[in-house]
Amino acid sequence: MSAPEPRVQFSADRLLLVAGNTFLEAVRQKLFVFLLLLAVGLVASVQVFREFNFGSSELKFIADFGFGALVFFGSTLTIAATAQLFFSEIENRTALTLLAKPIWRTEFIFGKFLGVFAVVGVFCALTVGLMIVLLRYREQAIMEANPDLVLVNGHLINYADIVIVGVLQWLKFGVLAAITLLIASYSNSNLFAVVMGFFVLLICHLQYLARDAYGQVTILPVRWLVRLLGYVFPNFQLFNLADLIGVGAGIDGLVALRVAAYALIYIGLFGLLAVYSFRHREI
Amino acid sequence: MNAAPAVAIELRALTKDFSISLRGLKLRAVDDLTLAVPAGQVFGLLGPNGSGKSTTIKIILGLLEATTGDCRVFGVPSRQVESRRNVGYLPESPYFYRYLSGTELVAFYGRVCGVPRARLAARVAEVIDWVGLGAAAHRRVGTYSKGMLQRIGLAQALVHDPQLLILDEPTAGVDPVGAAEISELIRSLKAQGKTVLITSHLLAQIEDVCDRIAILDKGRLILEGAVGDLVGQRDRQALITDPLSETEQAALREWLAARGHTLLGVEQPRARLDQLFLSKVGRPGPAGGREA
Repeated sequence: MSAPEPRVQFSADRLLLVAGNTFLEAVRQKLFVFLLLLAVGLVASVQVFREFNFGSSELKFIADFGFGALVFFGSTLTIAATAQLFFSEIENRTALTLLAKPIWRTEFIFGKFLGVFAVVGVFCALTVGLMIVLLRYREQAIMEANPDLVLVNGHLINYADIVIVGVLQWLKFGVLAAITLLIASYSNSNLFAVVMGFFVLLICHLQYLARDAYGQVTILPVRWLVRLLGYVFPNFQLFNLADLIGVGAGIDGLVALRVAAYALIYIGLFGLLAVYSFRHREI
Repeated sequence: MNAAPAVAIELRALTKDFSISLRGLKLRAVDDLTLAVPAGQVFGLLGPNGSGKSTTIKIILGLLEATTGDCRVFGVPSRQVESRRNVGYLPESPYFYRYLSGTELVAFYGRVCGVPRARLAARVAEVIDWVGLGAAAHRRVGTYSKGMLQRIGLAQALVHDPQLLILDEPTAGVDPVGAAEISELIRSLKAQGKTVLITSHLLAQIEDVCDRIAILDKGRLILEGAVGDLVGQRDRQALITDPLSETEQAALREWLAARGHTLLGVEQPRARLDQLFLSKVGRPGPAGGREA
């Protein structure tokens, strides 16, 4: 009798291969380029609105406007790209060839996630990078026009806070990608995954309202249900630290770290649920 | 070192049901299938559409789980990732990542299968040359013809030098010359000692390349055995001569009758249409490349 086959170990190399291929496929899609151009165009167009404000409030306006574009287009890109990149493998039957190789489905799912996460990361980096260039450009003009302005560390705005908010938004998109991947792992159509992805996005943005409202309810089962829902759906309002840019002491680094950990925990949990759901999926 | 098992694929009482409605109705795609594919042979899995061939292949590859029964590849249960280490698979109507070149695609699958980086480039070039795609290796897969897709599919299935090749309709949609080239590649794989499981609707091709066949219908095994045993007529013989006149034929009948034999028929041998086509259009080269 022959010896048992040696175990196929979990491989970061295979996971990164799937991620790299997913990234390559995504950046070749028109959707990515289209949304990136829209976001970049919107951020760049903020120049048109600069007469709305004076002094540092103009910079705050540019930052708010830029992050608004980042959140809107980034969420759209995350949901659409995750569903599309997952279902393109299923519908084009490339998953058939890939999963017939000695590869764990965990590697496939987390590879898909990392590919999308990298794409959204590029999107965030480019959008935030452009925003910083614009802020810097306007800051210099404002400082030259108003030499009496009080500066903090030689600047009117804390650029580290801009980067921190950009990173936190990226992590939030990571949570959203993991949720969309979980939905896609058991759904049969791209459209269903996209619609449900947006639905969950809405719930995650509004869940604090429900918690506030139902928190008043004294009936225990309802309170437990509300608490449970509060744990199941991440609270995306926690990521909205952009309001603190240029206000008071700015963003507390410890708070940012806690929000980042919150995102990573949800990414891990939803990723594992997606693996569990996909493990027995018939290809 | 352990010898390779004599059986490459072993199916025991394999059954697969698919749910087709919320009321619990089920479709039985594979029904109590017991089959063994010997190592080192070319095995044909035949059957009409919907007979359960593709479902069986997907269970062997771990892409589907059997409802009941057991499926083993080289002794390893097919639901384990380890069972696919020594398997290459060419899916029916293969679609690959269109934006990759042939070389990139085969290298991608080679890395997934664990081909060491130091050997990867040489191995990729070797299998691409072997399937006759050397000249198109750097073109994007999206620009490949149907026959080229099948060949790059074979290359990706072979890149990690597996002992078992599973080819699902490898000649579907391929012209007769391409189909003959693929047949030539399959023979060459057998000569290398590989086990090949093949499904095809082209029965002439199956007959030409397979050692054994199994016929499925409605998920059940109808017939299984060596091709020679199943299609050969052991109680008949054919003599081929230059043309005989009526008188000569009568004399031959008498001569045979005197020895207790009967001349059952006289007919003109015909060349097979695919052979005629290949003789006019071009024949496959030694490694599947078309001769000029």
